[in-house]
Amino acid sequence: MGYLGDSLLTAVELILSFDREVRMTVWTSLYTSSCAIVLAALLGVPSGLWLGISRFRGRRLLITLLNTLMALPTVVVGLLLFGLLSRQGPLGYFGLLFTPLAMIAGQTLLATPIVANLVLAAVTGADERIINTALTLGASRLQAVIQLLREVRFGVMAAVIVGFGRVIAEVGVAMMLGGNIRGSTRTMTTAIALETSKGEFAFGLALGLVLLGVALLVNLGLNLLQQR
Amino acid sequence: MVELKNIDLKRGDFTLSIERLLLQSGELYVLHGANGAGKSTLLQLLALLLPPERGELIYAGRLVHWSERRLRPLRQEITLLEQSPLLFSGTVEQNLAFGLKVRNIPSDKQQQRIERALETVDLQGFSRRSVKQLSGGEVRRVALARALVLEPKLLLLDEPTANLDAGQVTALERLLVSLPHRGMSIVIASHDTQQSPWLGGKIIRLQKGCLDKDESGLKAVADQQ
Repeated sequence: MGYLGDSLLTAVELILSFDREVRMTVWTSLYTSSCAIVLAALLGVPSGLWLGISRFRGRRLLITLLNTLMALPTVVVGLLLFGLLSRQGPLGYFGLLFTPLAMIAGQTLLATPIVANLVLAAVTGADERIINTALTLGASRLQAVIQLLREVRFGVMAAVIVGFGRVIAEVGVAMMLGGNIRGSTRTMTTAIALETSKGEFAFGLALGLVLLGVALLVNLGLNLLQQR
Repeated sequence: MVELKNIDLKRGDFTLSIERLLLQSGELYVLHGANGAGKSTLLQLLALLLPPERGELIYAGRLVHWSERRLRPLRQEITLLEQSPLLFSGTVEQNLAFGLKVRNIPSDKQQQRIERALETVDLQGFSRRSVKQLSGGEVRRVALARALVLEPKLLLLDEPTANLDAGQVTALERLLVSLPHRGMSIVIASHDTQQSPWLGGKIIRLQKGCLDKDESGLKAVADQQ
């Protein structure tokens, strides 16, 4: 069947037999990325909303900065947090380096600008009359903003989905801050890089297929939202 | 009910300047003026959406302070229906319920008031309909029902008959004329000078952001005083 065919067969077998190593790695990926996206949503949604409805000096500059952060290389985030969390760094006392918490922090930093930017785009693209209409119907400013959020809810959900897609597929932060420790911080992406370099191509392929499945689900969700 | 004194309100290059204007309870006013005369700006000021740079707005004998906390209870007595009204996504019922919910009206009373308001605009049976399925005329009528369901003390309408057919205009005018008898004050902005005789309201004329000093304009203000 050839090298590729054999590897693919072994990869499918590993997935279908719920191989413990595959399961553990997939779980670590899903767990850290889910935690990171929840935190990124908590930070990014209000930030994007606030930037979308506020008018103040320096707003344009802040938006440009946010746009720049969106394209932040993952290794740069990893490097920055590595400096902060390493034993000699200012936060070294907490001993967070090479733990899932460090990975969650890095991925949160990576996803927050994406979520904030896409929420900002959804808010600026929304009908300008929403807040005033809510106010004329007797709503408080907070209730009016919540109504605006309801009106752009599909855009907000899409922002969170895109952010999740970004963090689950990234390798730089997970590698630099997690250290690829088996059973603790080994994610799908870091395992693929490591196992392939060790010659365990089938194992890497199995994880690649799962990652592809997750990406497919994320994009399906995104497509469904865009059709609304 | 509402008194404006020495108002200056700037919007870009445009300034609305009103020395004095008094609107009384239970009266219908028709606000005339060409496009760009400041009708919509005046309505937004009366709806407490745009604060003036200078001057005083007195509502029900109280000087209006332009802080969000103090504006909210006053805004709950005033409703503005814009020229191109926006309906929130969802159903007709959800739109009508919005203002009632923020006023903490119990849900059984909400239902009664929604049904009554839809009946008033001749849209019985529309409550479960999605706003996406409404025609342009129906959108305007739902927006009017959403304003009426709140039973405001001051109802502000910006060109309410625009884009309605003749039959709908007649029905709407008949409804508007009946509202002051229910204790509601109404200000209707209209560029159609033929509309006011029919409605029988007092006329306020605006020209380039100022109250017109011609005979009819002065008479309107004098009548109110």
